[in-house]
Amino acid sequence: MFEVVLNGLILGGMYGLIALGLNLQYGIARMLNLSYGEFFTAGAFASFFAFTLYRINPLLGLVVSIPAAFVANWLIYRILLLPLVRRAPDRDALDANIVLCTFGLLFVFQGFEQIYWGGNVRAYYFLSFPIHFFGASLPANRLLAFASAVVLAAILIVVLRKTRFGTALRAIAIDPIAAGLSGINVLNLSALAFALGGAMVAISGALVSTFIPISASIGILYTLKALIVIIVGGPGRMAGAIAAGLLLGVCEQVGGYLVDPGLTLAFNYAILILVLLIKPTGLFARG
Amino acid sequence: MDRRTFIKGSAALVGAASLPRKVYAAAEVPAKIRFGTAVGLSGPFIDGSKSTTISQYDLWAKRTNDAGGIMLSKYNKKVPVEIVYYDGRFDNNETIKLTEKLILDDKVEMMLAPWGTQWNIVSAPITNKYEYPVVYTTAGDSILYTKANDWPYAFWSLSQPVESVQPLIDWIVQLKKDGKIKGRVAAINIGIELGVEMAKAFADLAPKAGLELVFNKSYPPDVQDLQPLLREVMATNPDAFFSFSYPPDTFLVTGQAQQLGFSPDIFYVCIGGVFPGYRDAFGAEKVEGILAYGGMDPAAPGFDDYAKAMKEMYNQDVEAGALQVYAFLQMVQWAIETVGEIDRPKIRDELAKGAKGTLWGDITWKNQLNANPWAVGQWQGGKMVGVFPSSKQNAKPPIFPKPKWTS
Repeated sequence: MFEVVLNGLILGGMYGLIALGLNLQYGIARMLNLSYGEFFTAGAFASFFAFTLYRINPLLGLVVSIPAAFVANWLIYRILLLPLVRRAPDRDALDANIVLCTFGLLFVFQGFEQIYWGGNVRAYYFLSFPIHFFGASLPANRLLAFASAVVLAAILIVVLRKTRFGTALRAIAIDPIAAGLSGINVLNLSALAFALGGAMVAISGALVSTFIPISASIGILYTLKALIVIIVGGPGRMAGAIAAGLLLGVCEQVGGYLVDPGLTLAFNYAILILVLLIKPTGLFARG
Repeated sequence: MDRRTFIKGSAALVGAASLPRKVYAAAEVPAKIRFGTAVGLSGPFIDGSKSTTISQYDLWAKRTNDAGGIMLSKYNKKVPVEIVYYDGRFDNNETIKLTEKLILDDKVEMMLAPWGTQWNIVSAPITNKYEYPVVYTTAGDSILYTKANDWPYAFWSLSQPVESVQPLIDWIVQLKKDGKIKGRVAAINIGIELGVEMAKAFADLAPKAGLELVFNKSYPPDVQDLQPLLREVMATNPDAFFSFSYPPDTFLVTGQAQQLGFSPDIFYVCIGGVFPGYRDAFGAEKVEGILAYGGMDPAAPGFDDYAKAMKEMYNQDVEAGALQVYAFLQMVQWAIETVGEIDRPKIRDELAKGAKGTLWGDITWKNQLNANPWAVGQWQGGKMVGVFPSSKQNAKPPIFPKPKWTS
């Protein structure tokens, strides 16, 4: 049972890691980006090819892929999403437009991924030796993803809470209009939060690809997982995302162990429904 | 094109179209032979659809046309082929609708199968109704044992669930008799389609043959971690392990079994185990002795040329499942060439006779199902080779036990 819970925590850490970026994009910049998972795929494929073709360490590859994803997402925000933000009469109309736009983007990206990377499932193994931990053994690559999730979330929390920049970010998340009135450049900061989210997901793609087989069409699966995590944890709450990820991971594994592994998806959605019924703003949301 | 040529051209087209079909067919050589297919081109299963089916249709069309086309002896002329694709979107209704459209509106000369069990099975009644002979190359389902006879124009090329697990069970029974193995078998399966079908057949047949089924559980399609399940399997101490899995989890289960040091004497994975990418992910040494659904014979006639063409067009190694699709395109082409014209009932009868020396070996049919498909392959020295059924040409004896992994 100890091992099952431990496995659940590790898996949950991975879910949290994947959700962090979308949490920035949706929770802070208020962009429900459905093409989010495609940057996960891109990050995963980038490190796959770097590793298998040139033997580049996936961690080293991040030096290139983080800025690349940052710039790409910043451009998406400035070129594609900003016009929508500018002309939207209200919040609801904007949400609908963003969803439609990023949904389209999802297919465009997937088309390119299919063309360039083909339909094959690919995998490589990096850091796949086991690490022993209180009698249980855990693969190093999954442990690394878990640790990265915790560290990245911690950094985000500190930045959001303790810096002026973070305070401004929180302000635009809570009330963009009031934030603008108090002298915050809302559009620039939103673009920045959106781009940061994109960079985060590229990191998670690279880390997760070291232990999970990838193919060109996996993106949407991870977008969905990230969405569940964010809704359960509360949009914009970084600690909430990690906690919700852990909760999902543990429930999946324990449920699978005690009841039936075929039901893990059902556990996922059961939690989501429960949260929506009991505390629709998310378990860890304020107010 | 200026307007006048356009009008002329259109007029000619209208004129040609209004000619009675019979006269046209008898008097003139068809400009090309169009093969229609409502294969899924976009949607959740595009990975499999593309790598197994679409890539092969394109490769075959290219190679056939590079050689001048299909020889129609009636006109003593080679006629190029064209694949007409409509996106079936992995949707039953869409697939049915587009299959009918290809036949009735586009009036394609021949039809090709879509990808995936479900969409193969929904297409078959349609192509059968309009008497289009089709070899369905990506369907594995026990429903075919009863239904396939209803559709004389549909042929089913893959190894079906019972035939896929029976040779493995027989083999383990023999090993047990020889005292080489205890006969404790464990199975896990993905909770969809062939995963369920294979697991059902296995759980039904293995105990009947006197094997002890010590573990049998399913897991959901988008599983991210199979370690807990594998730990449970390990606790039952099986000497043969069967993972009736699909591509992503086939990779996952192998990697995690290696991490856990779970190395039973017999290790079987289902779909995806024959992929060259599977071997590349773990390295030839670590897949040595792993058994997988499918299989092929690297000594089959034309194999080397095919492998070269795959390399040139896609920069990929041969994948047994895709090769299988290609082999039946070959077979359809031969049937058309033997008939010498596009006469579908005759082509159907020609297909029904079977074929010798395709890329997937000799083919015969029994109740519309492939009577001797490759059921099980094994990685031997970095190569995927067919091992079961052992009656099949060039079947290699299986390696036993699988070399231990050092984790």
